[in-house]
Amino acid sequence: MAKARCGRILGQDIYIEEGDTATLYFINNLRAYQVVLAALKALDQDICHDGCSLPSTVNKVIKRLGKLKNDLEASDVSAEKKESLFSKIDTFLADANGLPQDTSKTCRKSAGECIIGSGCFAAGALGLIDITEPKSPKI
Amino acid sequence: MRGLNIVLGALGAATGEICKNCIGLEGAKTKVGKMVKKLGMDLETTSICCEKTKADFKARIDSFSKAAEELKVAEECECQKTAGSCKIGEGCFVNAAVDLMKLIQ
Repeated sequence: MAKARCGRILGQDIYIEEGDTATLYFINNLRAYQVVLAALKALDQDICHDGCSLPSTVNKVIKRLGKLKNDLEASDVSAEKKESLFSKIDTFLADANGLPQDTSKTCRKSAGECIIGSGCFAAGALGLIDITEPKSPKI
Repeated sequence: MRGLNIVLGALGAATGEICKNCIGLEGAKTKVGKMVKKLGMDLETTSICCEKTKADFKARIDSFSKAAEELKVAEECECQKTAGSCKIGEGCFVNAAVDLMKLIQ
């Protein structure tokens, strides 16, 4: 079956067979995490570094990446593709683990420093993952 | 500036993706470039009494302008959904990244 490019993750072009929605689910999630983690790294340079929303978001990302890894393990994605995707998940997990995870700090809004309104950059960045389709396949 | 920092971070990641060849990123680059330019013009006309603060802000805005200009977009772009490469559904990473600016009130 013909393969078509469907993304580039960590500098590597990713190809998929037509109709392979299970593999596409994992690829699209990783494409999203690539962007989300870049956004979170930018936030780490902001006052969010000293707040609780960024760490809370980072913890969610770590948890979701862990779940993605488990789901990939249990999926019927080909072994070769699994191996390649596992290494990318591990890279993203390492990136996420390098970001703040201590949620005991005070929200920068409560501290009177973050005055952007009711929104939150960290939560907004995490929302980028939700635009991906297909939604979670039955595993 | 806080918003631009995160948007440029996200768009920078998208340049390493297939988005590099996409009109979505090309449009986002133009849009962010305009946002930065407008912010610079607004800063010029605003009455920030401390000259140092104003100079600091200007330096930051200049660095954002440079970062926006340096976003690597292919010379010939085509929507990667239309090209059949981007299969994330109706959404678009770069548009969603730019929309993070809407969080600012």
